[in-house]
Amino acid sequence: MSSNQLTLAPAPPSEAAEQVRLEVRQFLAEELAAGTFTTHVDTWLSGVDPDFSRKLGARGWLGMTWPKEYGGHERSAMERYAVTEELLAAGAPVAAHWIADRQSGPNLLRYGTEAQRKEILPRIAAGECYFVIGMSEPDSGSDLASIRTRAARNADGDWVVNGAKVWTSNAHHSHYGIVLVRTGPPGEGPRGKHQGLTQLLVDLSLPGLSINPIRILDGGHHFNEVVFDDVVVPGEMVLGTEGAGWHQVTAELAFERSGPERFLSTWPLLAEFGRRAAATGDPAQLATLGRLSARALSLRQLSLRIAAALDRGELPDIPAALVKDVGTTFEQDVVDEVRRVVDVPASLDSPDPLGRALAEAQLHAPGYTLRGGTNEILRGIVARGLGLR
Amino acid sequence: MSDQDLVVETVREILAGHEPLLLSDERPWDEGLWADLAEAGLTGVGLPEEAGGSGGELADAVAVVRTLAAGAGAVPVAEQLLVAAPALLAADLDLPAPEEPLTIAVDGAVTAEPSDDGDGPGRFTLTGTAVDVPWAGVARHVAVLAAPPAGIEGAVLAVVDTAGLTASRAVNLAGEPRGSLVLDGVGVPGALLSPAQAELVRARYALARAVQVSAALEQVLAWTVQYAGERQQFGRPLGKFQAIQMELAEMAGEVTATAALVDAAVQALDRGEDTVVLAAAAAKVRAGCAVEVVAKRAHQVHGAIGFTQEYRLHHLTRRCWSWRDEAGNELAWSRALGAGLVAGGGDDLWPALTRVV
Repeated sequence: MSSNQLTLAPAPPSEAAEQVRLEVRQFLAEELAAGTFTTHVDTWLSGVDPDFSRKLGARGWLGMTWPKEYGGHERSAMERYAVTEELLAAGAPVAAHWIADRQSGPNLLRYGTEAQRKEILPRIAAGECYFVIGMSEPDSGSDLASIRTRAARNADGDWVVNGAKVWTSNAHHSHYGIVLVRTGPPGEGPRGKHQGLTQLLVDLSLPGLSINPIRILDGGHHFNEVVFDDVVVPGEMVLGTEGAGWHQVTAELAFERSGPERFLSTWPLLAEFGRRAAATGDPAQLATLGRLSARALSLRQLSLRIAAALDRGELPDIPAALVKDVGTTFEQDVVDEVRRVVDVPASLDSPDPLGRALAEAQLHAPGYTLRGGTNEILRGIVARGLGLR
Repeated sequence: MSDQDLVVETVREILAGHEPLLLSDERPWDEGLWADLAEAGLTGVGLPEEAGGSGGELADAVAVVRTLAAGAGAVPVAEQLLVAAPALLAADLDLPAPEEPLTIAVDGAVTAEPSDDGDGPGRFTLTGTAVDVPWAGVARHVAVLAAPPAGIEGAVLAVVDTAGLTASRAVNLAGEPRGSLVLDGVGVPGALLSPAQAELVRARYALARAVQVSAALEQVLAWTVQYAGERQQFGRPLGKFQAIQMELAEMAGEVTATAALVDAAVQALDRGEDTVVLAAAAAKVRAGCAVEVVAKRAHQVHGAIGFTQEYRLHHLTRRCWSWRDEAGNELAWSRALGAGLVAGGGDDLWPALTRVV
C-alpha cells in the first residue's frame, strides 16, 4: 500500500527494557510512599522538581542512550522508552530535565562541539542542567521558518541576538536554550526561507536576556516569553553549521514528537478513573475504560516501534508525526470520555481525586494538540507520507 | 522473499481471477474462489500436515486471511484457518478435510449432553439453535461451542456435519450468510473445554475479525488515496486540497494504530501468552473504533460514486460495518477488557496494561 512511509517494523521484545521498567516502578512506589511527590496530570510540562531529576540522574535514567564518555549509559532506546513511560504513567515530576534529556542532549551529541559535549552532556545526565526550546515566536507558530529573531556578528566575531521567543517551557528554571535565529537572508522560491537559519546555544543568564511569565489556563507558570535585547552570544556557540538551522530543527523535531509523552499526558486521569471503575463495577464505566485502554495499547505499540527504529539508527519523522496526531487526540478524548460516565464535576478544589484530575486534564487539554507542532501541521506531514504532497 | 510474501502473492494471483461478488440468496458465497484456494492448498495454511493441513505458521495463515479480506473474498477462510480448525486441534478433535469449508458457531442456546449413540467415547448430543453462524448454509462443517452438561463448567466444542441440516436465511450488511442452525438431538464428536479454553475460542474469533478489519481498512485507505490522486475538481486532484489531506491523514492514523495492535495480539496468540484474551479484546475494540473513522472518511472523499453498488468501495466498508459487530462487538469486548485490566485491583491498571501486549 502507499502508506509504507508511515509503517514501521514491530519492536523486538527487550528483556533489558522490562528489567529497567520494574526497577523504575519500584523506585516510584518508594518515592510515592515516602511522599516525595504527588501524582499529577501533564507533569512533563508542569512538574518541575530538580531534586527528583537529580535522583533519576543518580540512578542512570537520564542520558541513557548517550556514550559513557559524555556521562551517558549506552543503553538502548527501548530501555529509555520503558523508563520514560513509567515516569509518565506515575505522573512524576519530570519537567525540569525533560527537554534536555529528550532532545537538547541528542541535538548536542549530534551537532555540538567536543567542548560543548564535554561541558554540558554529563550535567544533563546528572539531572542538573536543564534546557529550553527556542523555536516559536509571537508572530511565528506553525509557520516556523518565518521567525524574525536575528543574530549578527559583531567586530569580535560574537553573535548579537535581538528578538523574542514564546511558549518557552520552564525557562525560569533552565540553564540553556537552543535558539533558532536568522543569521542570513532567505533564498528564492517557496522554500527559500529555510535558508539563512542557524541554531545557537544560549546561556539563559546572559545580560540583555529577560524571561517573562506567560500563565496558562489554570494559572500555572510554565510558559515564558524570552526577550533578547542585544544579547551577546560567544561566536563559538553556534550549534552545528551556520545556515543549517532548518535541517537541524527538523531532525530535533523527530525526537520531540516521538515519545510516549504524546499519549500519556492524561494517563494519571485514566488511572484515577480505573480505580473508580474497579470500585463501582459500573458496566458503562468498565466499557469506557476498556475502549480507552484499547486505544492506549495501540499507541504504545506505535511508540515502541519508533523506539526500535531509533535503535536501528533511523530518524522516523513521518511516523512520529502520525503517532503524535493520534496520541494527542487520545489525550484529549480521555477527558471527554471519562466525564460522560462519571457524575463528578471537574474542579481543582474537588474533595474527589477524580474531580481534581479531570480539572487538571481539562485545563491543560488545549495544549496537547498544539505543542510540538499542531495536529494540522502533523497531518500535513502524514499526507506527505501518503504521497499527496 | 519471505514465506508470507510468497503466500500473499499466490492468494493475490488467485483473487485476480475473481472480482468481488455482489452476494445474493442465489450466490451466497464465492464457490469458485474457494475451489481455487483449496486446490492451491491455501485452505489448510497454518494447519499441521499430519492433521491434513498444508503446514506453515500462524503468520502464514494470517497473511492469507489479510489478503482475502482486503480483496473482499466471500469465503470462510478466516473462520476455518484462524478459529475453528485451531480450536478443534487444541481440543484433540479430528479436522474435517481442509477442502470442505469449516466455520464456527459460538452464539445461541445449544446444550451438549454426553451421548450413548454407540459410536464410542467423546460423543455428544447437541440440542438447540446456534445463531449468527458465519457462512451458515455454505460451510459443510461447523465447530459449535455449546453449553456443557449440567454441573460442569466450561463448554463443549463439537463438530457438526451440516449435510441434511437447513440454515435459516440471514445475512450481514455485506450479504455474507449469518443464519441459524437448528440442532435437534444431533450426535457428534466433541470435547469438554475449561472456561479458559472456551474463552480462548471466543478470543480467536474476535481476533480473526480484527485481522480482517485491519486488512480491509488498509485497503480502503489505499483505494481512497488513489481516488484522491485521480479525481480532479477545480482543476486539480482532490488530494491536493488540504481539507482532503486532513481526512486522509486521520484515516492513516487509525489504520496504522489498528494494524500495530492487531499484529501484537497475533504475536501474543502465537506465543501462547496468557494475556491473549485481553489482547484479542483490545484488538477487536480498536479495530471497531477505526471502522467508525475510516469508513466514514473514505465515503466522504469518494463522494457519490462510492455510495453506489457499481463502485468497489462498498465491498469493504459494508464488511467492516458488520465485522465490527460480529464475534463480540465493542461494547462486549471493551467491558471485558476494562474489567480484566482492573481484575487485580483499581491500582493495577498501568501494570496490567503493560502486560497485555
